[in-house]
Parts: sequence; structure tokens; C-alpha cells
Amino acid sequence: MSTLVFSLKSKPTFTLDMSSITPSVLEGLTLAKIKKLKLVYGKETVTVDSLFNVKGKYNDSIVIENSCNKLICVGKGLSKGTITVNGDVGDLLGQSMTKGSIQVNGNAGSWIGNKMSGGRIDILGNAGDFIGAGLPGDAFGMNKGLINIHGNAGDRVGDRMRRGIIIISGSAGDFCGSRMHAGTIIARSKVGKYPGSGMRRGTIILDRKPAHIAATFKSCGILKMQFLRLFFTQLAAMDKEFETFNKLGPTAHRYSGDLARNGKGELLILKSKTK
Amino acid sequence: MKINGVQIDDTFAEAFPMKATRIIITAMNLKWAYRAANALRGFATSVIACGVEADIERELKPDETPDGRPGISVMIFAMSAKDLEKQVPIRVGQTVMTTVTTACYSGLESDTQVAMGKSLRYFGDGYQISKLVNGKRFWRIPVMHGEFICEETTGVTKAVGGGNFLVLAKTARQGLLACEKAVNEIQKVDGVITAFPGGVVGSGSKVGSKYPFLSASTNEAYCPTLKGVVKSELTDEIGSVLEIVIDGLDEESINEAMRVGIRAACSYGPGKGIYRISAGNYGGNLGPHLFYLRELLK
Repeated sequence: MSTLVFSLKSKPTFTLDMSSITPSVLEGLTLAKIKKLKLVYGKETVTVDSLFNVKGKYNDSIVIENSCNKLICVGKGLSKGTITVNGDVGDLLGQSMTKGSIQVNGNAGSWIGNKMSGGRIDILGNAGDFIGAGLPGDAFGMNKGLINIHGNAGDRVGDRMRRGIIIISGSAGDFCGSRMHAGTIIARSKVGKYPGSGMRRGTIILDRKPAHIAATFKSCGILKMQFLRLFFTQLAAMDKEFETFNKLGPTAHRYSGDLARNGKGELLILKSKTK
Repeated sequence: MKINGVQIDDTFAEAFPMKATRIIITAMNLKWAYRAANALRGFATSVIACGVEADIERELKPDETPDGRPGISVMIFAMSAKDLEKQVPIRVGQTVMTTVTTACYSGLESDTQVAMGKSLRYFGDGYQISKLVNGKRFWRIPVMHGEFICEETTGVTKAVGGGNFLVLAKTARQGLLACEKAVNEIQKVDGVITAFPGGVVGSGSKVGSKYPFLSASTNEAYCPTLKGVVKSELTDEIGSVLEIVIDGLDEESINEAMRVGIRAACSYGPGKGIYRISAGNYGGNLGPHLFYLRELLK
């Protein structure tokens, strides 16, 4: 066995804080010590082996089996290595992570990538609200890194994000990119009402025109955006999975906004689906 | 030592340390990329008066450039990173940014960086946008043709400047034919440039002058018209001396460039007016990189 595998014995009744289970925390610990690590479970503290069967050997990667949406803060503060989650996962996935990668082979909750400043999160299923957003009281949401959601995402994707890239292959909810400071969001399918509402800067790339665009966004016309050419080429170079972006053309309808803030953000609605 | 009847002098070329960067210029098509690249490398023959030495390195296919368009890689050499810091933004701003449809990227990874878009962004007058993609920061500057995209910085590396050889010929016309062939071969070597017009120097210089305000002056020992007046290095049959100066990213690339260049020049032979190959040196006082002609041609 080349990786550490944590298999959930049964679905927990309360939320289980998984922030202690990261490669940097587990490095140098014996299997026996790992089993006796403490986890916050509801209002109580429990040992790892009371909820998980643990086996394998430390090598910078962790696998969580039989996961469910009660597991929160998975990969919190991740600074190296990989975490693979088989099953669903709860809120605050990858909170404050700085490096490394997390892959969820299932659905994820809300506040994914909250305050992340590096690394990559892949969700193969759907995700909840406030992806890459800041919690109430936070100045900013995600600060760097990549969040890639294969399914749909909820409302307010990238709320107050400052930097980084969020890719949503499915549909996104209302207020996508609300109050963005900067960064880039790509929605490959439908988005809900008022994308970019209150955004200061940043780019929201949409595959199709949303049903409602706020009156505080003004059309700059249909343009060949040199930036899109560069962006799609660079995305394709990042990962084989993103090679499909290389087929997209640079023509887009540009809306500048939100003029109620300072209007330096943009909605780019793709017009040419091929080069 | 002789190659194809051409005498190879037992001497060496003397080169000196420089700093270099490589930038990638892309455009709608190669024609416009060349226009930008040619403008950028204009008046960049010698650090003596131009500040930098620059030339086109090679064409780039769309799959070799950051934005998937055809491009040109240009190498710029200077005596220090500070000189590059001064020259690169000015040159890119006045030549590449002003050329329609172009974009400009770094072509060299290094810990030492000099500003490119970092300085030029202010042209956007507050409408510029920064984007961090794939670990690199790019500036989007709104301009009248659309958008000028420029990477924030470009890498700087240690380099070698002033690799050279002299082609001693019967006439300038014959010397130039041999030099053109030599430059064509040198251009096939990666990581080197020949910054002078057409890659050939018609007025090679020595260090210093009788005039105190001049740092370089004509190399009278190789001037055919002064053969009877000064201590000349030229024999009676030689009527023209042309120099090829090579800057490169390392000694090995200059070695290779000199090797292929000299062999190409020698292929014309004495029958076509090429008599000798020599090299410019200053007794080993100018720089630490010495390229012995006979050794590199072995």
C-alpha cells in the first residue's frame, strides 16, 4: 500500500472536522499515532480510529474512502501533497490551502476554496454555493489557485475572490462572480441572474448570454479579445483536461462593469465556439 | 592550418561577459511579427553606442508561442541587467506595442527578471488589467487596435558577447559573399545572434582612440588603405576585411557558431578571393572568454 487510506466506518451524525488530516500534519507520524489523532466531531473530540479504518503508508498523498457530506474542512491549510476523496464532501473544502491538490470523486458542499492561496481543487460532481468566496468578515475570497468543477455550482461563485481561476463545466447559479476583486471565472454552461453583480475587477467568461445582466454593465461590442487567445492557450498548456479550450475562438461580446463599483470588471460572452 | 586553402591564423577571439534576455513577439501573422521584431532590433548593433545588441534569433511556430500565434524570438544583450532594465521597456513600448496586433512575452526563465509589462502598463492610463495565468503575470493594455498583451517581466541570464572572426578577402564583394554564407549557417545555431546589419561588420573597431573622448576607433592594423602607413596585419593581396561578431547565451553556442561560420566562409577558398581567417583580440585584456580559432576548428 503506497498511500494512506482513511475509510469511513459509517456515516457520522454530526459534522466532522477533517482539518487535521493533511500530508504536512501526518508527515513523520507512525500509523499508531495517526490513529490516535484527535478530530472535532460535533461538539466532541474523537480519535481517528473511532470513525475510520486507517491503513497504508505515508507518501504525501491521502485517500478518503466512503466519504459523505458530514466531512468538513477537508484539506484545510493543505501545503503539499494530494488528497483524493471518494464520495461526497461537506463545506469548506480546501480552506486556506496554499499548495497541493484535492480531487473529489463526488459532490462537494459550499465555501470550497475559501481563502485558498494556491494549489488546485477538482470536483467531479456538483458543488454548493460560495465557491472560492470569502466568509462573512473576510476581506477576500480565494487569492490564487484553480478550482475546477465538472458539474454544476450554486450561487455566488467567486464572491469577493481576489485572484485565481474557477472553471465550471456545468451551470452556475445566481450572482456568479458577485463582488469580485479580480481573478477569472469560466462558466461553460448556463449561469443564473446578474453575473458579476458588484464586481470591481476580474473576468467572467460565459459560454452563453445570461438571462439577466445588471443595468450597471455596459456593452463594449463584439470584439476579438487577444486576451482570450492567450488565456485559452495557457489553460490548454496547463493540463490535458483543458485542451478543449484551445478549440475556442477569441470573439466575445464584452460587457464592462459593474459601473456601480468602478467598472473595471468584464463579462465576456463567447461568440466563436471554434477558432 | 588551412581549410580549403584558406589560412587560419594562430590567434583567438576575445569575448566578454554580458547579460541577455529573450523575448517572444507574436502577431496576427509572421509579416507583422517581423515588422515589430525588426523595429525592436533597429539601432542595436553594439553596446558601444546603442545600449544593447539585439537580433532576431528565429521564427516560432504557433505551438511554440504563449498565445498560439506565429511569432519571432528576439535576443537582447547588454553589459548589465541594469542596462537591460533601461532598454527593454523602452524598445518594447516604442516598437512592439506600436505594431498592430502584436503581443510580447518572456522567452527566458530565470530568477533575475527585468520589467516589461510592469513598466508599460502605465500606458493603459488606469484601464490596464493584470492577469495571472499559469504562474505568469500578463498585462492587458487597451490600445486603439484592440488590446496589447505583455508579460510583466522577462528573464535575464549570464551570456557571452563579442565572439568574432575576421574574413580577409581580395575585395569587399568577395568577402561579403563568404560572410553572407557564414551568417546563414550561424543563424541555424540556437542561442546566438549576429547583431550587426546583415550579421557583418564593415568597420570593426579597436578599444580606445588617440582622442580621449572616444572609447573605440578604427582598427588600423586591418584597414587595407593604411597598409603602407601603419604596422599592418594585412598582406598585399588582401583588399578588404569583414568581421562577424557573435553574441551567445554561453561559450559553447559561440564555439559552435564560429565553427560553422568559419567553415562556411572558407568554402569559397582563395580562388574566390578568400585568403585568411583571423580574429579580434586585445591580448587577453578585454574579457575572460578566449576562442582559439585552430582549436575550435579541429
